[in-house]
Amino acid sequence: MATFELYRRSTIGMCLTETLDEMVQSGTLSPELAIQVLVQFDKSMTEALETQVKSKVSIKGHLHTYRFCDNVWTFILQDAIFKNEENQENVGRVKIVACDSKLLTQ
Amino acid sequence: MTNSTSTVYIHVIEDVISKVREEFVNNGGPGESVLSELQGLWEMKMMQAGVICGPIERSSVSKPTPGGPTSTTPVHDLNVPYEGTEEYETPTADMLFPPTPLQTPIQTPLPGTVDNSLYNIPTGPNDYPAVHDSGGTTEMKAGRPSPYMQPPSPWMNQRPPLSVDVNVAYVEGRDEVDRGTSHQPLTQDFFTMSSGKRKREDFASKYHTGGYIPQQDGAGDATSEILQVEINQGDNSLRRNDIVTTAKREMSAQVVRSSMKIPQLDGPIPDPYDDVLSTPNIYNYQGVVNEDYNIVNTPAPSDLQAATPAVGTQNDVGDDDDDEPPLNENDDDDLDDVDQGEELNTQHLVLAQFDKVTRTKSRWKCTLKDGIMHINNKDILFNKATGEFEF
Repeated sequence: MATFELYRRSTIGMCLTETLDEMVQSGTLSPELAIQVLVQFDKSMTEALETQVKSKVSIKGHLHTYRFCDNVWTFILQDAIFKNEENQENVGRVKIVACDSKLLTQ
Repeated sequence: MTNSTSTVYIHVIEDVISKVREEFVNNGGPGESVLSELQGLWEMKMMQAGVICGPIERSSVSKPTPGGPTSTTPVHDLNVPYEGTEEYETPTADMLFPPTPLQTPIQTPLPGTVDNSLYNIPTGPNDYPAVHDSGGTTEMKAGRPSPYMQPPSPWMNQRPPLSVDVNVAYVEGRDEVDRGTSHQPLTQDFFTMSSGKRKREDFASKYHTGGYIPQQDGAGDATSEILQVEINQGDNSLRRNDIVTTAKREMSAQVVRSSMKIPQLDGPIPDPYDDVLSTPNIYNYQGVVNEDYNIVNTPAPSDLQAATPAVGTQNDVGDDDDDEPPLNENDDDDLDDVDQGEELNTQHLVLAQFDKVTRTKSRWKCTLKDGIMHINNKDILFNKATGEFEF
């Protein structure tokens, strides 16, 4: 199963990375094992998003920057509005990083 | 943060932990205790980031009441400062940017039963905030303001109260990596304690009564004769001292002769203390005696300052090399940004997969799926998202 390392930049991924970092630095954990944990996180996070999350979001905003490189879209929006079923969030500036979903299914 | 996000995150944590358990327990892995340490730290960071609702159900078992016994955590407390020495120097870029993702060879989900056993293992770090406070205050009240004690690193502070003393004793090894921010208060306290305008007699008595203050200044090396000589030199070379201070020096010299343990004989400690931090010119107007004092004492402030490790590390790196440092410094900066500035809080970020991105003139439309958004300090997950942007 292919995975993205994309989600490592999320809060949960960063927390895990920091934790592994500390444990490797303290000698508690081997770097190889730490990487295995990260890879497992990639899988588990992707799977959880597919199977456990049902909500939908609409995003509107002014597209300040777009970029498509290595099958990754990057958008920088200004004055963006995020709406889901529950509420709405306004953000002055937000970055969207999106990998090609087809890469996972190949 | 929504409850659903928290739920999914907790699920992911448990999923990851259960699926790497095989690797931890077998094949000479570090064992179950390290795995639960990993989980505990991870969850603690998540709670601090505010993205999962604590306490997690299991934490009712594992969360020790303040002052309660915690069995597992002190172990790695003690290990941290000592084992970290070598890795400390090397950047951990390979962690953040792993070379080639290894595929986990074996996945053995161990449902149910194993998880339960996991819950029984205390994950002390969960009660970070209370611990931090109590630890700090007791440490200060203990009246042992040893400048050699580096304030514990943030995640050392995140330990249960019982282990605080242990940490204090061992933190002396100043190798561990800190994030720096959280011990500003401690550092400040040290400074204020020692920077009050005291006369040296006060210090002398204080040292005697306290009895616990370690040698901060190397005065133990000096015999009374040497001290006396130094004082005389100081008198000769005084540039801005008046009679009063000279008299004080003599008084202090007498005090020194009466008991050689008195470390501070050379004038107002606090001033040089502060000045050392700000102005390197201190030697010019402090005289020889103070110079001696300062030389001996500078380690103290510098050690305290080392508590903000990012600075120290960068300086070291910058001093050592010519070619490499820029890269390393940049690495440090990046890490700093991640740790402090941006820290998941200020930067709004959406991580997702795209199904389709189209453009008609300046109107962009995209469909995203399986996304994690961090917006306005909240983590929001979505299964699908549609975007309409104007360029």
